[in-house]
Amino acid sequence: MSDKSTGLSKAREIYLNRSGRAKELKAEGKKIIGYPCVYVPLEMLTALELVPYQTCGDIKEPITEADRALPGSFCPVMRNCLDCALKGKNDFLDGMVAIHSCDPQEKTARVWESYTSYPYFHFIDMPITIRPEALEYFRSQLNDFGKTLEAFTGKKLSKDKFESAIKFHNQQRALVRELYELTKPSSPRISGKEITLVIKALTGLPVSEGNDLLTETINEVKNRTAGPEKKLARLLIWSGTLDDTDIMAVFEDKANVVMNESCGGIRAYRSSVKFTADPLEGLADYYLNEITCARTFRQATLGETRKDYAGDLQSRFGYLKGIVREWNINGVIMLLVRYCDPFAFEMPSLKDYFDSIGISSTYIEYDYTVGALAPLRTRVEAFLETINQ
Amino acid sequence: MVVEKKKKTINRLKSMYPLRAKVNETYLKSIKAIQAGKPAVWGMLNFYYGDPILKAMDVEVVYPENYGAIAAAMGVARQYLDRADAEGFPTHLCGYSLTTLGYTARMMKELNGQIPPEAPFGGMPKPLFLMSSAAICDARYKWFQALGRYMDVPVWPLEAPLPGIKEFSVEDYYDEMVKMGVTHLRDFVTFVEDMVGKKMDWDRLDRTTSLMIEVNRVWHEINELRKARPCPMHSRDFWSAMPAALFLAGDLEDSLRLYQDMYKEVEERVHSHVSAIPDEKYRLVFAELPPWHSLAFFDRLAERGWNFVIESVGYHPPIPIDLSGISDPLERITRFSLQFLVGYYQDARKQNVLGGTTAYPYLKYAREWKCDGALLHPLITCRSASPHLPYVSDMLMKKMNVPSLSIEGDIVDLRLFNPEDALGKAEPFEETMEHYKKVRRQEGFDW
Repeated sequence: MSDKSTGLSKAREIYLNRSGRAKELKAEGKKIIGYPCVYVPLEMLTALELVPYQTCGDIKEPITEADRALPGSFCPVMRNCLDCALKGKNDFLDGMVAIHSCDPQEKTARVWESYTSYPYFHFIDMPITIRPEALEYFRSQLNDFGKTLEAFTGKKLSKDKFESAIKFHNQQRALVRELYELTKPSSPRISGKEITLVIKALTGLPVSEGNDLLTETINEVKNRTAGPEKKLARLLIWSGTLDDTDIMAVFEDKANVVMNESCGGIRAYRSSVKFTADPLEGLADYYLNEITCARTFRQATLGETRKDYAGDLQSRFGYLKGIVREWNINGVIMLLVRYCDPFAFEMPSLKDYFDSIGISSTYIEYDYTVGALAPLRTRVEAFLETINQ
Repeated sequence: MVVEKKKKTINRLKSMYPLRAKVNETYLKSIKAIQAGKPAVWGMLNFYYGDPILKAMDVEVVYPENYGAIAAAMGVARQYLDRADAEGFPTHLCGYSLTTLGYTARMMKELNGQIPPEAPFGGMPKPLFLMSSAAICDARYKWFQALGRYMDVPVWPLEAPLPGIKEFSVEDYYDEMVKMGVTHLRDFVTFVEDMVGKKMDWDRLDRTTSLMIEVNRVWHEINELRKARPCPMHSRDFWSAMPAALFLAGDLEDSLRLYQDMYKEVEERVHSHVSAIPDEKYRLVFAELPPWHSLAFFDRLAERGWNFVIESVGYHPPIPIDLSGISDPLERITRFSLQFLVGYYQDARKQNVLGGTTAYPYLKYAREWKCDGALLHPLITCRSASPHLPYVSDMLMKKMNVPSLSIEGDIVDLRLFNPEDALGKAEPFEETMEHYKKVRRQEGFDW
């Protein structure tokens, strides 16, 4: 990584060579721990001076090795991540943490652990509800995770270190939210593509370096005169994963993507971890309750014995109304990665919700490959024509 | 279909027929009771976690997963799949879920809550509530949530912890799972009481739980007898007999007696060296749900000497566990249900098979039931039942020199399984099995 680059140019460098900084840190003696999903509590890694590194897929990488381990009709993102691992692209990792945030990740984790030989591997189980007993169980899962990390590092997970790590990660969340504030003006100050660069870069850096990158980027964007071109549509993308600038470019050709509500966008940064007497309680609540992935079963009232559809939609998607209003969004693309069941089941109900708040939306599916971009472009253009009429 | 018309070769167990008849009879009684106004619940297969509670509360349960298979076999699923497609659900979702979503959309939006006239076996009436389950796959709780679009019916999602094999050995791990399970079930009982308007009879729940555990213990012992050579019981009999243990279908006391009868018959066959097929040349394990619509396919394989001696772990009873010292029925239920998920963990860790909680049992089966091969049946729209199969195949070969034959199919779309094509692969696979039989012997295996 160039020492001179800052802000967006630095983010671009890291985006194009994500493992570069992690490898440098490894050469300096740091231990690098991979994770495939935003549900892994990174604070616990940071508190023990481990460097978290998100093991992303690569849409340009044809899947070959993962075919021997997973069937074709399976989450293409997890297949792609596993494929990269089996090709040795993550061999610099000292360990890996997977979590039961969805069925494909749980199933892939078993195979991943079996076919690789990192010194450390841990699987965190995760309940599907936010009921009190589920939160308590998830807290115990995080406690067990902490025990295995302590054994691996030979260090103690003290409350001070824990709170300091939470503070750093909360700061990162606040900075990402600040970055998204810059898309609110009618002429956004930063593009969706640039934000994708920055957020993906963060997932390859220690939290403090990520925070510096965000601060530099925010200052740079606030002070620059030339921002992205204003286009007719202001889009919200709602998806499982949208973490690639080539995909984002398809949407931004004729629109401004002012909000990316996916795991490659704001999802992991929309709120902060609460400081609690037992830090694990705050973490359990944040990761199980606050991250708005379709994998969590939400209800208007826990254990409800009566149900109405409007209340149900509000409990599942109500947070999106504020986003639509604050960012003055006039179109939503519900982008489904093929075979992603938790998101796929949401599509008709989410469409109902967007209809109920008077916003145009469309559902588009793709398979997380470069080959999917041309048909994706056709579908996006067709949608933009309808909302610009 | 030509294969359906040929004679049946498999020597079916006589004791299976009354057990199967009892299950069918109970199902029809249940449908009549529901049609007469008794409340019904739609439930997901929950691996013994919620069913004993509903049974003790005298609540009738219908299982849309099973109904999806019935609708497919009776040729009415297509219109429900099309309806689900028109409603905006992606076509690659679980075939059972799409069938239910399409069925419900038709019932609630077109027919004002009336059961569709074309629905086989009396259909599924609008339920009092839905009991989903987090066990095994995401679809099985997201699908019931999605039904809220058509029915204002409450959903109770049953939690189902699923640890890693290595992580399971962390101190207090199991106790935390039990703790969550018991608390969760206690709240579920309160929910059911509120929904049906009566209190739980705890003595009845206690008896129901004990019977459930005993029924499954006997069922497990029956399957242990299948290790005999020749194998006395074919997978066809397993699939016919499993609902009474897996879904607690029918009266549990009747089921216990009928399983005990089955045990006697299988034991007698073992003593008399009676095989489930005329000439057992190859012993096979079958992985995942069978092609329900083409079961006669197994008769054709039986003619070639293929005996299916064991099958998918997902439908087998848990390895027996002594729970007699636990007085709280909810804790017994929790531990019994957890045993289904973690019963193989200790052994799997010893064998260093960390990948695939559902994969390790196949290695145990191959070793203890002395299998020559595995017939894998990946299901296109069932992503929970298929992803571990490449890994199973790899482990069977690497660790035991047991080859696999993979034949694709689906749970609903009948066109995806071609029995003639599958039969065409039988002869070359026999050569493969013969080859690896020699390899195993050279490497010191005892089969």
